[in-house]
Amino acid sequence: MNLFLSQISAIVWKDFVTELKTRELLSAMFIFALLVILIFIFSVNLSVVKANEVGPGILWVAFLFSGTIGLNRSFMLEKENGCLMGLILVPADRTAIYFGKLISNFVFLSIMELFILPLFMIFFNIDLLAHLLPLLLVIFLGTLGFCALGTLLSSLASNLKTREIMLPILLYPLLVPIVIGVVRMTGQVLAGEPLSEMMNWIGLTASFDIIYIGVSIMTIDHILEE
Amino acid sequence: MSSDEIEENEEEGNILVWLTGLVFLAAMIAIFIYVPTEKTEGVVQRIMYFHIPCAWLSFFAFFVVFICSILFLWKKDREWDIYSHASAEIGVIFCSLVLITGPIWAKPIWGAWWVWDARLTSTLILWLIYVSYLMLRAQSDAGSMRARYAAVLGIVGFLDIPLIHFSVLWWRAFHPQPKVITSEGIGKGMDPTMLATLGISLCAFTLLYFLLMGVRVRQEKLKDEIDRLKREKIYSS
Repeated sequence: MNLFLSQISAIVWKDFVTELKTRELLSAMFIFALLVILIFIFSVNLSVVKANEVGPGILWVAFLFSGTIGLNRSFMLEKENGCLMGLILVPADRTAIYFGKLISNFVFLSIMELFILPLFMIFFNIDLLAHLLPLLLVIFLGTLGFCALGTLLSSLASNLKTREIMLPILLYPLLVPIVIGVVRMTGQVLAGEPLSEMMNWIGLTASFDIIYIGVSIMTIDHILEE
Repeated sequence: MSSDEIEENEEEGNILVWLTGLVFLAAMIAIFIYVPTEKTEGVVQRIMYFHIPCAWLSFFAFFVVFICSILFLWKKDREWDIYSHASAEIGVIFCSLVLITGPIWAKPIWGAWWVWDARLTSTLILWLIYVSYLMLRAQSDAGSMRARYAAVLGIVGFLDIPLIHFSVLWWRAFHPQPKVITSEGIGKGMDPTMLATLGISLCAFTLLYFLLMGVRVRQEKLKDEIDRLKREKIYSS
């Protein structure tokens, strides 16, 4: 178990060092998410629609779109110099590669989200601080589900000829339950209602997270096989 | 595959063709002559005898994809890959038919081609998932990689169905409540003649599924055979 954890942390560490050296990913994700929010603000008339109603949807579209950039990078980077082959040749369990990638994707996306949230608060004039804790729980569940399935599909798509195109096409239809769930829950939280009324949605997103982490553990061996 | 085997398969195929044809004929007679016109909805309601069997067939086909994908990852046998490929293609075709017949039925009854109802939405998402499955197959070269990736997506996609179902159900629902299988028992909510017609129609479509599967699987196997012979020819000359 200890060995497994150190293998995972080695992969996460490697991703972080690469990111610290290049500083490519986080800034790109942040700016892209900002642009998505901006475009949506132009496309809906905020003087007519209530910010509380459209806000959650726009926020999550921004998270998912910029998250897709991160997912695309995560395995492509390995592909470029044949590093993926190196990773596979390491005498480690393939699930360690999956978990390492999952954690680094999750952490990158979470950092980006933490930067976006204050801007969202200012642009939409919504007070997030009043219900920060339930909001963070919703964001955690949603981001975890997105990364669980996204990491699996990104490892799969990285070997295709048209990988940047195929990843969103494969990923988005499967993400529908989690998108509906988190947007609903975020709306509930921002309206100041307690999250305990939405236990069914919490259960749904949590089971999405668990199912896809489980499926990924079972199938990752078949994907990372050359 | 030897030539004897192919002949044998063709004979079986012929019986299936005739059987499917006969049941379809019976279903047509039942739909257009035997069954009375529904009181409130009128003649357009007859589209139900296509709409529901198509939906059943596509769900069944996707279930077969799921089972064959698991079996492929387990046994690593090309046979299962062929089955899931063929089944996914048939499923997508009939899912498209569901999405086409649905609006035709909905326009006169609901007054709109499309409403964002739970079952419509989930069928559309299902269609998107399996179209992306077929795109994945088209994107990768033939071989073990394509088969493995497709199998993973076949499993992931099918496991998503219950989650999608509940999420869009809680999102909103308009569709007529289930009539054939209700809490009071099977077939209580519907006239017996309508139920019989629907039954025949379901039978006909299920037979059609197996017929199409047979044809598609044979085609795919012959393709493999041609590839093998080509390679043999190249290396021997």
